Amino acid sequence: MRQRTALPYLFLGPALVVLVILAAVPTIYAVNISLQNRTLSAPDADYVWFANYLRLFSDDRFLNALWVSLKWELLTVSATMVVGIGLALAMFEAANARWRAILCLLFIIPVLLPRVCAAFVWKFSFHPLYGATTWPVRALTGETPDLLATPWGAMLAVAFVDVWQWGLFFAVIILKLLESLPPQPIEAARIDRAKGWEIHSFITLPMLKLPLISLVLVKAIESLRSFDLVYVMTRGGPGISTETLDMYAYSQGFIEAGNISYASSMAVIMMVLTVVMFTTIWKRVQK
Amino acid sequence: MKLSTLLLRLLLILAGLLVVLPLLWTLLNAFKTNADLLVSTPKLFFTPVWDNMDYVLNRRSVARALVNSLIICSSAVALGALLGVPAAYVIARYKNRVTREAQFFALSLRFLPPVAVAIPMMVIWLGLGLYDSRLSLIVTYMTITVSITIWLSIPAFERVPMAVEEAARVDRLGPYATFFLIALPIARLQILSAIAFSFILVWNEFLLAMMLTTSRAKTLPIIASEMSQLGMNVPWGILNAAVVLLSLPPLILLALIGAGMNSAFSRKSAQD
Repeated sequence: MRQRTALPYLFLGPALVVLVILAAVPTIYAVNISLQNRTLSAPDADYVWFANYLRLFSDDRFLNALWVSLKWELLTVSATMVVGIGLALAMFEAANARWRAILCLLFIIPVLLPRVCAAFVWKFSFHPLYGATTWPVRALTGETPDLLATPWGAMLAVAFVDVWQWGLFFAVIILKLLESLPPQPIEAARIDRAKGWEIHSFITLPMLKLPLISLVLVKAIESLRSFDLVYVMTRGGPGISTETLDMYAYSQGFIEAGNISYASSMAVIMMVLTVVMFTTIWKRVQK
Repeated sequence: MKLSTLLLRLLLILAGLLVVLPLLWTLLNAFKTNADLLVSTPKLFFTPVWDNMDYVLNRRSVARALVNSLIICSSAVALGALLGVPAAYVIARYKNRVTREAQFFALSLRFLPPVAVAIPMMVIWLGLGLYDSRLSLIVTYMTITVSITIWLSIPAFERVPMAVEEAARVDRLGPYATFFLIALPIARLQILSAIAFSFILVWNEFLLAMMLTTSRAKTLPIIASEMSQLGMNVPWGILNAAVVLLSLPPLILLALIGAGMNSAFSRKSAQD
């Protein structure tokens, strides 16, 4: 039995109140603004109700952004998981404790870097005239490949930086998960002369199914935060081929038109999509 | 040694180089003149110059942004820890429906797309006359710091053995004394690394800072990204120097984060 005390209320209450205010007020504001025709230049506005939302679905650029965001999510989440699992298994199979410690420390570095920095590091490295990554191509063929100038090249280059940050970090987490598994089933399988890949695809990875699904979710949530990478590396270009939803909402609300209501309606749609989707999936996984 | 082991080790070395080389290269580039930097064949040997660093460090905008970043991030992190750590303790120790929902709520704040927070926040701060102020960014960042501190501190407190707290109670320690004298010291390494992590998140934050500031309250990442727009030519040397300086604080906290992660996983497996 616990003593009767006010501690739980005193400790949890303030944090909850602050979080609820910080979550509810902007959400209500966002919905409210999205129903008006507010712009940054004019202070007063009228209610136009759902006109912004209706306009969105005939806006090709919005549909393009939706499609780009979907591609971005699928590409970065799957690549991060493949890299994470691959490197974790490689460390588990081929590295001793000391090397694991060194590699783990190294692999955490990229994710801790400011994304603006990671983006600049690789943007310069991909530079067609002076980049270090493009240098072998220049030296061998004399051409100057501009990766960021082609639609797919730009997408893959930005995704590469994202996976560079998150895939290596996930490798560390997955290695720790592998190390926390009970060793008996793995030893039994080794005695039965199972090969390395058989052990992992039939025993260890299935044992880690739940944490791995959680990691997929975490990455899907973090992939929504791609703005800084895209902004620094391509600004949504070439054309609008890497313009994700937040990039488009930003340019509508702040750069081109100052059309804050229209941008807000986009934000509301994103909010509803992600919150509903992630909440249902998360609750199902945790059961 | 088997061939497969050799190949796997090769893969690991490649991955390690993929981290080390770009960072070392950026560090080198920060000390190159443009003539050494903008060449077709990358130069490994050159006479290092301090000009880029000098330029970055002596710009008034950088000094102001550094002060902004430090004040904004440390205030938001301190407030986040003050509110988040005790809340995490309650969620970890009193398991019931309310605390379960509170835990999920703290996580679900991370589901919000940042742009969906930035746009209404901007209108709110404009309306209150606090737009482009440090206070507005501190309050906005608390969404991030409070929730992430709660989320990462819960497992830290869950790993404090229940028996230790029971013993404290037998020794007639009150609930507050138990928290401050027993639970907090035992979980301190992981709590510290959780707080360090929340600092890194807001230090690196870009989108909110960009939309909520225009001049006075700009933070370092914004200034760094603006350096690519100085004049016609991108000043790559200066940019590299800015990247190095901006990356230093997170890298300094690396050891703490690593230690926190190790203790998070090792204790769990020891208890199971």
